[in-house]
Order: sequence, then C-alpha cells, then structure tokens
Amino acid sequence: MKVLVPFKSVPDPNDATVAGAAASMPKSVINPFDEIAIEEALRIRERGEAAEIVGVTIGASAVDEQIRAALAMGVDRAIRIDDSRALDPYAVARILRALIEKEAPHVVIMGKQAVDDDSNQVGQMLAGLLGWPQATFVSKIEFLDNKTRARCTRETDAGLEVVAIELPAIITTDLRLNEPRYVSLPGLMKARRKPIEILSCDQLRVTVRPLTTTLSTSRPPKRAAGTRVDSVEELMAKLRGEAKVL
Amino acid sequence: MDFAWSDQQRELLDAVGRFASQQLNYDVIENDRDGVFNHDAWKKCGDFGIQGLLVPTEYGGFGQDPLTTVAALERLGYACKDNGLLFSINAHMWTAVIPLVYNGTEAQKKKYLPGLCNGSLIGGNAMSEPNSGSDAFALATTAIKKDSRYVLNGSKIFVTNGPIADLLVVFATVDKTRGPDGITAFLVEKDSPGMNVARKLEKMGVRTSPMAEVFFENCEVPEENLLGKEGGGAFLFTRSMTWERGCILASAVGAMQRLLETCIRYANERKQAGQSIGKFQLVATKIVDMKLRVESSRHMLYHCAWLSSHRKSVYLEAAMTKLHISDCWVKCCEDAIQIHGGYGYMTEYEVERELRDAIGSKLYSGTSEIQRNIIASLLGL
Repeated sequence: MKVLVPFKSVPDPNDATVAGAAASMPKSVINPFDEIAIEEALRIRERGEAAEIVGVTIGASAVDEQIRAALAMGVDRAIRIDDSRALDPYAVARILRALIEKEAPHVVIMGKQAVDDDSNQVGQMLAGLLGWPQATFVSKIEFLDNKTRARCTRETDAGLEVVAIELPAIITTDLRLNEPRYVSLPGLMKARRKPIEILSCDQLRVTVRPLTTTLSTSRPPKRAAGTRVDSVEELMAKLRGEAKVL
Repeated sequence: MDFAWSDQQRELLDAVGRFASQQLNYDVIENDRDGVFNHDAWKKCGDFGIQGLLVPTEYGGFGQDPLTTVAALERLGYACKDNGLLFSINAHMWTAVIPLVYNGTEAQKKKYLPGLCNGSLIGGNAMSEPNSGSDAFALATTAIKKDSRYVLNGSKIFVTNGPIADLLVVFATVDKTRGPDGITAFLVEKDSPGMNVARKLEKMGVRTSPMAEVFFENCEVPEENLLGKEGGGAFLFTRSMTWERGCILASAVGAMQRLLETCIRYANERKQAGQSIGKFQLVATKIVDMKLRVESSRHMLYHCAWLSSHRKSVYLEAAMTKLHISDCWVKCCEDAIQIHGGYGYMTEYEVERELRDAIGSKLYSGTSEIQRNIIASLLGL
C-alpha cells in the first residue's frame, strides 16, 4: 500500500522567542495536524500495512527544511511542487489532485486544517475533485478486508462517529489520532540520502489561479480589562443583566 | 571568517531544540527536590543521538565535529531545564566516551561505544580522591598486576554518575614512585567484584545528577580493560579534561540565553511605580550585562570548539572558556534572581535552581583557581 501525505509549512505556533533576545526569524514548521498525518502513515508502515510513504508539499525552496524534517521522521521520499504564490484551498486541492492522479496512492492522509489559515477545506475539496470517499477529523484508523476499506473514528461535536470508507480515500487527521515522534539525529542522517523530487504545475499540467484574494489581515483586538465586583450578588446581577449568560 | 551555520547544522540544531523542549522538561522541580535522575530522559537523549554526537559512525555515533557538537549541546541547554541531566550527559561524554574514542582498543570501542551512544549504557570517571582533588595526580588508589588481571585498591569521591554508571574510567597508579607516569586508566564495569558504590552524595545543585563515593577493595580488572597504556593515565586524563573544559559549559551558554529571555519577559511584564521594571536603568543594566555575558561566552565556546575542529591544541583556550563561562553563568543567575525579586527566590519560578546548578561549574573540571593557574603558566608566569 502506498500512502501519500500532503503537508504544509506554517509559522511555528510554539515559537516564543522574545524579540531582541535571539537574532532569529520566526521559524517554519510542518503544520502540526499534518505532522500527525505523517506519524500515522509511519505507524501504518511500521505495522506492515504500507510499503511506501510519499510526502508532498507546495512552495519555494524555503520549505525544503520542512521536507527534510518529514524525511527525517521517516517519510520514504518527498515531492515539492515548486510554486511560491499564496494559494487558496481550491488551488491547493487542484494541484494535489493532479499529483495524486500521477502517484496513484491507496490512501491520502493529511491534517484536517493548517494552523495558519484554519481553512479546513483542502481534504474535502480534494475528495470531491477526485470523486473519492473521505473521512475527516479522524482519531483512529483501521484497515479492513485486505486493505480495500478503512474504518475511521471521527471526532464530531456530538461524539465519536465510526465510518467505513472504500479505498482509495482521503483521511484528515484530528489532534487525538497520535503524538508525533520527534526528528532524531539518526533520522536526519538518513534523510540526507532520501530523494526530493521537484515538480512544477506545468509538469503536472495543471493551471491554478486562486479564487480568493486576501484583502487585509489584522491582529485580534486586545482584550478589554476586566472589572472587579464587590459581592456575589453584584456578580450574579452582572452575569444576568450585562453578560446575559445566566 | 564565516559565522554562519550550514543548512545541515541548522537542521540539526533546530531538531535538538524541538526535541529537548518537548521531551525533557517534566518533573524537573520534583526531581531536583528529591535528587532523582531521569532515566527516561537519558534514554530519549540516547535515541535522539546526543550522547553519540562526537563518536565516529562506525561505533554507533554521528561523527559530528566539535563545533557542531557544542552548538547542539548549547541548544540542548537552552531547551532543557534539567541541568543535572545535562551534567550527567557531559560527564559521560567527556570522561568516558572521549577517552574510549581516543585510547580504546578496537575491541573496547566495539564493546562499549554503541551502548554509550544509544543511551543503554551510562559512563563516568573516578579520579578525585579524599586527599587528591586539584592535585589530581597525587592519587593513592593502586593497581597491582597479578597474572592477567589488575587488582585495584583505594577510594574515589565525587564520582559523577557513580550510582547509575555501567562503566567507569578509573584512575589508579601502578607504581607510586613514578608519580604521574605511574597513573593508569582502567575500564571498570558496574558490579565488578570488589567495587562498591557507596552512599549517594547530597549536594547543593545539579541534584538530578547522582554522585557517589566509590571504593575498590581487591577489585580485579581483566587486563583487556586497561585503557591506553600502563602509565598513560595522566596524559589520557589531561586530554579528557581539556575536552571537558572546552565543552562542558556549552549547555550553560544555552541556559544563560534562556535566563536572559526569561528576564526580558519578566522585566517587560512586571510593573512597579507605574511602569515596566525594565524601564528602570538599574534593571536594564543587569539585562544588558547578561546579554554581554551570553555573547562573550558563546564566542569563546565556539572559538575553542572551532580550534578543536581544526585539530589545533586548545589547552589554553579550554581553560579560559571554562573559567569565563562559569563566572558568567553564576553572575547571570544572581542577576536573574535579583531581577525577579522575591519571586526569583521561590522554587516554583525555577530561577533559584539555576543558581544552585551554576555554582558547581566553578569547581568541577578544575576549580576557577586551577584554571587561572593553567592560564598564568601558559602566559609564561
């Protein structure tokens, strides 16, 4: 079985560098949900159910660092679609469809969303474009019937939902699927010998143009200062009257 | 002169930082209080590749050069708050792994290095004795050859990793009349008959790194465990100490950087008399001094390691590096406590522990006074 894992580079959500203290730019990392997808693919391979894991990302050469991190985790080979534009989910999904038609994986596992734009659309659009089944927000994956189907546990607002899907399929991962391993020195040494293939949209014969344009971005408003109350009665009155939460 | 890291070095350093910040910082306050060594963290470091950074790949290591190694250890010290764990790792690397890499026979290297690299074996050395510390070569432990074995008798003190070590490099004299030329190194495995690891020593700092007294009473060591030549122990020890002095405080540079950032954050957040305390010049000055100490320490650390990477002698540079960084580390910790005020004195703020951990750096691998003696003698005094 071949597993394809698309992943995205995002600014490190854990980067707490104090301005001025360290002369470093904000770091990029693999989107944490995609890291969970990579980990799951590795576990599937380790239990003998997959023979090859292919990692895919889109971006300029700056994302090679995250590619090598994926290879160091254990991904067998990687493909970078060389495109430095700001792409929207539909464009990403169309590029990935073209690649998936070329690579013909048995299953695609990817993060449910990227932590930078929180779109949560690529997996679903990709399934739609390919006409493949999908299981989103997955916290458990089991392969059934000689790997022709997968049973996936989904995390929904109402509770856990268990679905069975035919393969090939798109699976998007939720936070509780696993805890990704860290990149180790032996992994980094091995990664240096693994191939990174660079493809262009032209080579994939796909033309994408973002359908959405980001007009502006701004920081969330600062939280207003709280107020002190003198008594429980006053607190209750405010919760009822002003906040209207009771 | 090129101060930039290569892509490969940067990847390695980032990987170390991510690994250490996510995997090693749990139960640090409790383990410090109780004097408990974190075995899981040790094993994780082995799996990650820390202990084998410098070891050639054919023995299970990663063949990194000294500069990359100290930078990795610096990053480790920045991201891991368990200074005791790092002290144990340093003792292991500089006093057990390095002597084996340089002086081990092929059989000894094959037998011990893979385990010492992957975290399954813990190493250390036994040099200091109750009556020989700074005057290390005045040691009294004896090794008498008997057939194909050496019989060791004597007692060792301040043995870092003593209570947990699988392998100790033990220094003893085969002939007291020969002075330093009689000193010989032996590889002694734990549970060797006649070797007793006595009480664990309670100490002020690096409390998560266990230390013990070790006694040898007719402890028989097979001759294939002779490390280097008979009488070659003093040279072997000096080389091991030079490595240690040059590298052991790499993690301290990382710790200083972490302290600096903690202090900047606190000085910006903490408001007194209507403004951030960082706006008070007396506080700002302390932070500026901390920054200067971190930078000067880092430069000395890298320069010394760079010289090592180019196979230059670093006897002088290692002594200066060790002396300077240990001074800076202690001063940074004092300033950090002062900036934090009463909170800095409280255990839960994790600043006071840094000071307790730092003070030992002026004692181990040769006291600051011994480093000054070395430097003075090399300056022709």
